[in-house]
Amino acid sequence: MQRRESRTAQIAELGVLTAAALIIFVIENQIPSPVPIPGVKLGLANIITVYAVYHYKWSDALLLVLVRVILGSVFAGTMISFAFSISGALLCLAGMIPISKLIGEKYIWLSSVMGAVLHNAGQTAAAVAVMKTTAVIGYLPYLMISGCIAGAFTGLAAQLVTVRLDSDRKKGEKSSNDDA
Amino acid sequence: MKNKNTAAAVVIAAAAVILLSSIAAVVISRRKPAGSTVEIISDGKVICTLDLSSEPDREITVEYKGRKNIIAIENGDIYMKEAECPDHTCMKTGRLSEAGVPIVCLPNHLIIRYKNGGGDTDAAA
Repeated sequence: MQRRESRTAQIAELGVLTAAALIIFVIENQIPSPVPIPGVKLGLANIITVYAVYHYKWSDALLLVLVRVILGSVFAGTMISFAFSISGALLCLAGMIPISKLIGEKYIWLSSVMGAVLHNAGQTAAAVAVMKTTAVIGYLPYLMISGCIAGAFTGLAAQLVTVRLDSDRKKGEKSSNDDA
Repeated sequence: MKNKNTAAAVVIAAAAVILLSSIAAVVISRRKPAGSTVEIISDGKVICTLDLSSEPDREITVEYKGRKNIIAIENGDIYMKEAECPDHTCMKTGRLSEAGVPIVCLPNHLIIRYKNGGGDTDAAA
């Protein structure tokens, strides 16, 4: 999946992706949650995460997510939401990166489902630590179900983005070859 | 390619197991009778245990780091009336129901739950 592209171009792309993820995150934060269960959301910003996992080195994807989570908490959240976001994001990446390597591009949506489920598991673990009680585990099954649905949705979106960008890129390469 | 398909099948199976067992967990927790004893947990400590069936209507104020939560008891129901927090998820949860999840205010470290059942996790803990 490594493309022959200069590092500078990659870094610029990562910057744009991070900015896009942040915008999505901040806008989604403004939409009130339809269900009164903390942690249930679509996680649209993860479309970018999934895309990055499939198209960049794992360390680049990790950096993108870290920057998004930190800046997202600064813009939209509080310190407590940072604790949940970061633990969810790290567990999500720790699972999604090896899974994406194993199952390949055909099943992007599937990596995303596993990523979402792991994200919610990480959040719940953080909630147990913060609240100092296991009572919050009662929410875990609900979060897992919502994670499967939201993960499939964001994964399909990421899959569409990938297909479209790849075909655009091929067209671009072709026309630049024609020019030469 | 064959390996990738096998791996994908394994991951699909894992996802299906997670989804189905979660649905099962939700169904089971909703069927468990809860009794009427409710406990209020603030920052990991049980600060009071109430029997809703004999509790008079009143309000309880709990403070965490200067932020107040007002818990109301009304006709044997308990709910979060006010919360000084950014999201108010706990207020939107409404009345604590035997079948549902505990009322949780994450920012203020406050939980209201049935002592047995109703999303209870003592068995797991």
